[in-house]
Amino acid sequence: MLDRRLPAPLTLTALAVVIGILVTTPLLINNNVFHHTLILIGIYAALAQAWNILGGFAGQISLGNAIFFGIGAYTSSLLLVRAQLSPWLGALAGMALAMVLALLIGYPVFRLAGHYLAIATIALAEIALVVFQNLEFVGGAAGISLPITRDMQGRPTDSWWMLQFNSSKLPYVYLALGVLGVVQVVATLLDRSWIGFFLRAIKNDQTAAAAIGVPVARYKLIALLISSACTALIGTFYAQYLLFVDPETVFGLSLSVLIALVAILGGAGSLWGPFLGAVVLIPLAEATRSQLGGRGTAFDLVIYGLLIMVIAVFQPAGLTGLPERFRPRQRTSVAPAAPADTQMEESLRS
Amino acid sequence: MSGKLSVIKQLIGLLTLALIVALAGCGGAPSAQAPASPPSATTARAPAPAPAGQAPPASIKIGVIYPLSGPQAQTGNDMKAAIELALAIINQDMGDLPFALAPGTGLPNLGGAPIEVIFGDSQARADIGQSEAERLLNQGVVALYGAYNSAVTKTASSVAERAGIPFVNGASSSPDLTERGYRWFFRTSPTDLDFSRVMFAFLKDFQERQGVTLNGVALFYEDTDFGVNSATAQKRFAEEYGVPVLGEVKYRSGSAALTGEIQQLKSFNADVLLPSSYVNDAILTVKTARELGFAPQLIIAQNAGYLDNAFLETTGADAEGILSRAAYAADITQAKDLAARIDQMYQQSHDRPLTDAPARAFTGFMALAEAINRAGSTDPEAIRAALAATDIPADQLIMPWQGIKFDEKGQNSLGQAILVQRQNGAYVTVYPFEFASSEVRFPGVAWANR
Repeated sequence: MLDRRLPAPLTLTALAVVIGILVTTPLLINNNVFHHTLILIGIYAALAQAWNILGGFAGQISLGNAIFFGIGAYTSSLLLVRAQLSPWLGALAGMALAMVLALLIGYPVFRLAGHYLAIATIALAEIALVVFQNLEFVGGAAGISLPITRDMQGRPTDSWWMLQFNSSKLPYVYLALGVLGVVQVVATLLDRSWIGFFLRAIKNDQTAAAAIGVPVARYKLIALLISSACTALIGTFYAQYLLFVDPETVFGLSLSVLIALVAILGGAGSLWGPFLGAVVLIPLAEATRSQLGGRGTAFDLVIYGLLIMVIAVFQPAGLTGLPERFRPRQRTSVAPAAPADTQMEESLRS
Repeated sequence: MSGKLSVIKQLIGLLTLALIVALAGCGGAPSAQAPASPPSATTARAPAPAPAGQAPPASIKIGVIYPLSGPQAQTGNDMKAAIELALAIINQDMGDLPFALAPGTGLPNLGGAPIEVIFGDSQARADIGQSEAERLLNQGVVALYGAYNSAVTKTASSVAERAGIPFVNGASSSPDLTERGYRWFFRTSPTDLDFSRVMFAFLKDFQERQGVTLNGVALFYEDTDFGVNSATAQKRFAEEYGVPVLGEVKYRSGSAALTGEIQQLKSFNADVLLPSSYVNDAILTVKTARELGFAPQLIIAQNAGYLDNAFLETTGADAEGILSRAAYAADITQAKDLAARIDQMYQQSHDRPLTDAPARAFTGFMALAEAINRAGSTDPEAIRAALAATDIPADQLIMPWQGIKFDEKGQNSLGQAILVQRQNGAYVTVYPFEFASSEVRFPGVAWANR
């Protein structure tokens, strides 16, 4: 069942170049906005990749992934504010809680498919939003402000233990990229393993997959568990960066949609789609807003929306499919950038 | 064969990736923690102070964050216009106005350098507030100002606090904001606590004065930071003043319909309704209440949507008799000549009357500019010290306050709330009784009589 595709030297070189750029540029360009944008790219690329495991590989579209993000953000923040517990431990607690929740909702929700699954996940995230807005214990609608760590003189300081950095954004940048790296590795390992094949079989035809012996329900649940744990981890990290958690920010439908949008625009089901989607979308949103937002005409949102529409209309397979457009129509056996589905078909055929 | 080889190669590749990321993470750490590391954020972000004897800066940049798009775009743009008016007064010679910075051009203590404002759009979202604050700091602003929505003010001011740059807030009312132990945060506006207290003080005084008895209050509030904090404060003061709370309804901000919620409110049968809503919800509330014949004797709103120009224009006669707490009212122009003149100038440039949020935006911004001038420097510490020493007398304000003076938490201790009532199409001050320009019309709301 192991993958037989050759890693083209070109792919490995490209990978090395991308990593090299990501690691060195934050050091060379010491600019807060640049660092902030990199952090957001890391966060959204990781979130989209976590979504991709379920939505891209297995084709189970969720528009409620914010629920796990929120659980991660709230668990560590509450443990920090109420019990002074380090966010590192809070992140583990958040991941565990998210997985328990995933188990509880996965079983009933996966009886639905397609649009109904998407609707059900929206509803679940909205329920979480309303519940958190009404629970005084978790700060209600006002949310939780995380305290700034300070030294004896009251100046903001850095603390690895408290996962908070106030003198420079560099640790946040590398943490964001590190989290992205972890999620990317997890997705790659999944993609290459039998689990990835089972998930894609489920995506292509659930009934056929079941007929050839794929334990459909169990593997969907596995994908959801991995996806939810990754998402919760990113939630903790984001709360530590924003220093504020409120239901609207972490459970909002706009966040769930943005997560799916980044993955789908980049190329759902492909390994580098989510990253590519984030690299294009996040700077686009930041740039249009910073250039045009201050005029108060909302023109930046018009341009942002327009560009998303252009990509969706002319490149519905996502940005990772772009090289295919400029390639001769003839199929080659080595197609590292081909959408995962074609690769899947090919490997099944051979 | 080739299959195994490829797996090994891939594994090596992945391990290398993991290693590089891990190394990068460790590599980043010491440089961030080492005290001698090159540009620490505070020094990198803070614009160089102008040492004595050197040429003053060409302009003083201030970053201002408001919701300029999205559901609160109108309020945001009204406040933007108020900031632009304040800029005109500071940067141009308007010696006949009593503000400290009106005579002469620019900031006299900084060689007459003009103030330049860079606006940021928060879209009323907390996460975007953080992004915009980062961007503005990067553009070399010496202070941040904003951001109306309490949640946005929280994230934007934490960026300023981490960077060691002053953040002045003119119009967010969440009491939490000045309870976070922040060193760089200053607020000129009264909080929801002050605002909510005035409602209950009024109910008590009014019942004694008129000899009427009101059975109690019903709370109706939206589900974000603003609405919930408002309701929390109201419940606290209801208990303090011995006013029964007959029921409360929390609704989803931006709902398409409020029929069920209003039905529920109606069932409480309370004489007084206390709504806390932004503008779209406020319009919907009044329309639905009228359709369903829900007419409590008094509606006392928690500012926000109920004082918005869009609310006044849309609801028209339906809003007659509604009371609201305010920090500013149009009829202050009758009592205060200064307010009348600023209102006139605002209408000339913006074509809309000066309402509460823009008036508070104007006042807070003038206080910030005055402090920067008094600091005589763009050094953040100097500006912070000047802000802490602020003492602006009442006659230099368009607000009905006793002045501006910050306590140790950065909260203006001289702010004061008033109650206004909509009478014949305009909001007039009705409480405290000594500042009132009109008597309270009672019962305030009776849709059937119109």
